[in-house]
Amino acid sequence: MVEFRNVMKRYPNGTVALRDINLKIRKGEFVFVIGPSGSGKSTLIKLIMKEEDPTEGEVIVNGYNISTLPRNKIPYLRRSLGIVFQDFRLLQHKTVYENVAFAMQIVEATPKEIRRQVPMALALVGLSKKADVYPDQLSGGEQQRVALARALVNNPSLLIADEPTGNLDPEISLEIMKLLSEINQRGTTVIVATHEKSIVDAMKKRVVALDRGQIVRDQEKGIYGDEDKDNKIYS
Amino acid sequence: MKIRTIKYIVKEGFLNTYRNKLMSLASVSIVTATLLIFGIFFAIILNLNYNIKAFQEQPELEAFCYTELNDEEINQVKEMLMNNDKIESVQMVTRKEAFEKLKEMLDNREEMLEGYSENIMPVSFIINIKDTSRTPELVEEIKGIFGIESVRYSQRVIDIMNRINSWVKWISTAFVALLTGISVFIISNTIRLTVFARRKEINIMKYIGATDWFIRWPFVVEGVIIGIAGAVLAFILLCYGYSSIESNFHSDVTRLSINFISIAALRDIASKVFGLLLLIGSSVGCLGSMISVRKHLRV
Repeated sequence: MVEFRNVMKRYPNGTVALRDINLKIRKGEFVFVIGPSGSGKSTLIKLIMKEEDPTEGEVIVNGYNISTLPRNKIPYLRRSLGIVFQDFRLLQHKTVYENVAFAMQIVEATPKEIRRQVPMALALVGLSKKADVYPDQLSGGEQQRVALARALVNNPSLLIADEPTGNLDPEISLEIMKLLSEINQRGTTVIVATHEKSIVDAMKKRVVALDRGQIVRDQEKGIYGDEDKDNKIYS
Repeated sequence: MKIRTIKYIVKEGFLNTYRNKLMSLASVSIVTATLLIFGIFFAIILNLNYNIKAFQEQPELEAFCYTELNDEEINQVKEMLMNNDKIESVQMVTRKEAFEKLKEMLDNREEMLEGYSENIMPVSFIINIKDTSRTPELVEEIKGIFGIESVRYSQRVIDIMNRINSWVKWISTAFVALLTGISVFIISNTIRLTVFARRKEINIMKYIGATDWFIRWPFVVEGVIIGIAGAVLAFILLCYGYSSIESNFHSDVTRLSINFISIAALRDIASKVFGLLLLIGSSVGCLGSMISVRKHLRV
């Protein structure tokens, strides 16, 4: 599903954000990518959605080779992904319903499909009652759930969330994470980049820990990290 | 592309134009000014061509005798012309015919001719030439015939007009190129504002998998709307100006003083001018918006 082979990423300013990354994420997995800021989490996510290209090595996502994918094919890669951001990125002048429907308009879905799929996606995230409300009238948690509905409405095989709870209260964060876990149980592969210890520890999922651009730990049913070891790593 | 997508694109384009109304208005006026100048040049060119054509339809040569010539002398002239092997045919215009023609030209001011008779008019011969390349030679020959006062040679007028025509074409091309450049620049700036105001939205669209064209089209529509609005305005102004010139031209005083030039009727050139203005307006709009969206699509 997602595979990194000997990936190195150096930015034009010389910073090496990732090095020697070898990572395989299979269909149906739920993976946390963790690490302090600057550890390369965001770069890893950016490579998956081809916001950046690897300097060396290969990244394969849903069968697309990121390095060789031509520019005009990027939209099709992104349509196979659902993407959720820390800052929600909703269209402010569209209602909740319209925001979700817009993702389907872009892929030229029929009005019939849109009328069927959008309420389903909204029901899944528990926002059926707020369909006609504008984003600025919603709480942060609700906005993120709209973003989730939008990411899911086209039935992507892979859902990527970059710090999805970074702007949310701990309680709400846990709710969002449970939602992601539920989505994962329906068969969608989920990758979450986060640095929220409590959530990672509570979820008991696969954990890939990054530090200074390298994978320092890859553990099934992991926790955020045992403090001693992490302290050594981070010191 | 599916019809519902086209609908979405057109709707977004109109909405953008509306949301951005002040800048849109400014762009429309610049486009109008450009196209108005272009339209004026184009109308001049069309009229020159119209006159050239009118001259070409006239007999190629007309030789005028001295008015004092008597019938016998006129016959001699006619004889000589008919015997010239460079001449295809000769048609005589009698004094009476010439007088009638003059009256007709004066329209309702016939009183000017009161007290005059047809004897003031010269007899003339309309000559069709066999080989036009030898016209200048023949003109000299005819002038040498006793009794011929002058030869009207419309080819020369045509040559002059052709020369004017090519000058006008050059000047107008230069002007229009310059103004088109300015218009593209102004439109692209207007669209850039819309694009900038919506850069977040464009970014979101990119991340949920919108193709570049899906994002670009509404802006192109916006540019084309501005271009077409400019073209329509310019055309209306042009029509207004042209028809007032046209009606002045046909008032008899002017007509008498420059009776060898005529003006093409507005209805004959309107569709040509409008078509061209629309074409230029919309392509300028299209180009302007493409330029300004390009940068923001690189995500």
